[in-house]
Amino acid sequence: MLRKGSSAVLLWSVALAAGLRAQQPAPRITAADAQFDQASVDRGQQTFVTQCGFCHGANARGGSSGPDLTRSELVQSDEGGRQFSEFLRAGRPDKGMPGFEQLARGDMVDVATFLHAAIYLNANRRLYTVLNIVTGDAKAGETFFSGAGKCGTCHQVTGDLKGIGAKYDAVALQQKFLMPRGGRGEGPPRPAHLDKNAVRVSVTLPSRQIVKGVLVRLTDFDVTVFDPDTSQTRSFVRNGDVPKVDVVDPLQAHLDLWPKWTDADIHNMTAYLAGLK
Amino acid sequence: MRAGRIAALLLGLLAPVALAAQQAPVLDPSVLLKPPTDSWPTYHGDYTGRRYSTLTQINADNIRNLQLAWVYRLNTSQVFANIGGEGPDIPPAAAGGFGAPTIKATPLMLNGVLYFSSPDHVWAVDARTGREVWHYFWKTRGGIHIGNRGVGLYGNWIFFLTPDNYFVSLDAATGKERWHHEIANVKREYFSTSAPIIIGKQVLIGVGGDSLDVPGYLESRDPESGLVIWRWYTTPRAGQPGSETWPNAEAMLNGGGMPWLPGTYDPELGLYYIGTGNPQPVLTGKSRPGDNLWTCSVVAIHPDTGKLEWWYQVSPHDTHDWDAAQTPVIFDGVIDGKPRKLLAQANRNGHFFVLDRTNGKHVLTSLHTDSINWTKGLNPGGQPVPNPDKEPSIPGVLVSPDTNGATNWPPPSFNPDTGLFYVATSQSYSMLYLTDTDDRPQGWAAAERGVGNLGRALKAIDYKTGKVKWSRPLGMGAGGSVGGVGMGLLSTAGKLLFGNNGAGDFVAYDPSTGKPLWHVGLGVNTSNGPETYLLDGRQYVVVGAGDVLYAFTLPH
Repeated sequence: MLRKGSSAVLLWSVALAAGLRAQQPAPRITAADAQFDQASVDRGQQTFVTQCGFCHGANARGGSSGPDLTRSELVQSDEGGRQFSEFLRAGRPDKGMPGFEQLARGDMVDVATFLHAAIYLNANRRLYTVLNIVTGDAKAGETFFSGAGKCGTCHQVTGDLKGIGAKYDAVALQQKFLMPRGGRGEGPPRPAHLDKNAVRVSVTLPSRQIVKGVLVRLTDFDVTVFDPDTSQTRSFVRNGDVPKVDVVDPLQAHLDLWPKWTDADIHNMTAYLAGLK
Repeated sequence: MRAGRIAALLLGLLAPVALAAQQAPVLDPSVLLKPPTDSWPTYHGDYTGRRYSTLTQINADNIRNLQLAWVYRLNTSQVFANIGGEGPDIPPAAAGGFGAPTIKATPLMLNGVLYFSSPDHVWAVDARTGREVWHYFWKTRGGIHIGNRGVGLYGNWIFFLTPDNYFVSLDAATGKERWHHEIANVKREYFSTSAPIIIGKQVLIGVGGDSLDVPGYLESRDPESGLVIWRWYTTPRAGQPGSETWPNAEAMLNGGGMPWLPGTYDPELGLYYIGTGNPQPVLTGKSRPGDNLWTCSVVAIHPDTGKLEWWYQVSPHDTHDWDAAQTPVIFDGVIDGKPRKLLAQANRNGHFFVLDRTNGKHVLTSLHTDSINWTKGLNPGGQPVPNPDKEPSIPGVLVSPDTNGATNWPPPSFNPDTGLFYVATSQSYSMLYLTDTDDRPQGWAAAERGVGNLGRALKAIDYKTGKVKWSRPLGMGAGGSVGGVGMGLLSTAGKLLFGNNGAGDFVAYDPSTGKPLWHVGLGVNTSNGPETYLLDGRQYVVVGAGDVLYAFTLPH
């Protein structure tokens, strides 16, 4: 399909690629993934889009006549462009793919680097970027806040939540209203019992003395309590229901909402809180 | 016919027995056909996956006296190891974080020696003393090092799989390598975790990995040569039955379905049962409309030929990474007054299924976890009908369970004395955001942000009704519910059920009521399936927790 000597086809593919390119930025590789040279990825993409994109798609996931190259075993198995270049020179004429022997060796390596980077980004879910999640209806979010969500029982948008939309990005904000515990979006991790929303417990000893504090550990066999005022920890062996243990989760209202939220409620609440700048 | 098959199966194993009977540990294959007593010769102890022992020396009346016999801490040093592998001396970065080695394998025990593995390592440990007999280390080329379920034994040979997808055989007596064969391409993000299962003169293995869109398959290999006898793809090829559940050939060819855990086997029916993995791309179904057979299915395979006998898909068109790899447990029972050959699975998607294992016909479906929110109910065949509104979207959907599932790979147990199926469950919630909006999405294709957990519990399910007979909540901490997703379980005729409590204790429960009868604090949760056997007339219970293997027994 693609003939490098055919200027008409080439021009068309450049035009097509230019259009596609705006939506398909080059895969960005972070510094942590130093096996990819970003300049090579960018050059490779440029070459790919003009030379290969017409058949294989500008993002290499398959196009008008060529297969998805990010799923190609040949590409996935390639090492540093060596096997890829060899293949590219010969092409696959029986399947309508011409050889690209005129392409400089460096260009072939760049294209291979671009493909490897794209495959790497497909394969590494931790590098995926959450897109725009502020799509809900802020007004409906406000109604839920003061109505069905009963958020107003504990929170005021002019009080503790003032300016909350400016404090966190939308994903962190959503995480925080779904489950405030766990230090989401705030500084380095710390032990769970130092979280201000930690589960609370009250232990009634046989002497009727009551020990209250943060629950560190509760099993059928023992219970451990942390006193935030003195920073001291006490533990008690349990025998059946002795000593008596009462657990209170200060976030129970948040937990109770999980089975009740509709996704629209969540999107609306996100829009509402994100707007509280 | 059946007897002939079994006889042939036994004959096939006699040659290595005769050759090595003097000094090497040799597996008598007949032990694989009955409940384990003085050995633990295969991943589940026997072929059924019940993880039920007839032993009663340790029982509910004397469990309070159970005491530590020895511990073995994983030795990963290469200094005195037998070393093999195709990788460089310094592990490649592509292999990812290795973390601390964890015992997810169920050790095999034969003639007083335990054989087990973690990614890149195999150990033989003296079952009387906990002393290391030998250690084999595999130099890796990469692959995700998430876990390894254990080794297989045939005659005096050990078999195991590596994260970089090699099928390796060792001499059980010395830990010296016989050979290795590549079974899948690590550059396609395949990685292998399963424990080989030996059936007759065949070694059954499966591949894993769902970072890229690659096909899943199960293989039978020759225990002598290591070469392929047959390969069964978990998705159909164009034109085959099942292909109507995919939009096109490309989607099928890249459709995943990794059979990444060991299966179970009924020697009378001559069928191997295994659960397949999730379809690819994982968290979006945009490019693969349809049910996507045979992903997320329990399948019955003829071990001689690799031909599919029947299938039952527990998650049609999955978009939440809930594979069906969990153990398909086989047992005989009574349904509506009639004796039945059954198969049960507590699935990652929150449902409990009972099937007729002769033909795959549905018997019942129930919920083992209350929080699940992703279905529109069950269809007449008992399959959950996915709610399309709960497929990951750009602004996100709140889904329970999370992608780790309501339970996971740790082996459950079925106890014929109580008629109860035991499994640990988790009421997790996550937000799932579609991140790959292309018409041809790839890989996982969405991002997950954990929300929380409404509580984990050990549950006992009545197989006749699917109802939860008892539920024991696991431990709590300052952040709420604690514990893993699932736990390895073992039940015994001694009226005991061994598991953990999510808070680092190894616990023996009453299998009838869930009441804890004995426990010991190990500091970290048990990380594999517990096992038990008789050695020198004494019953041992062996369990792994993190990087330590513990053996318990009664005092003399």
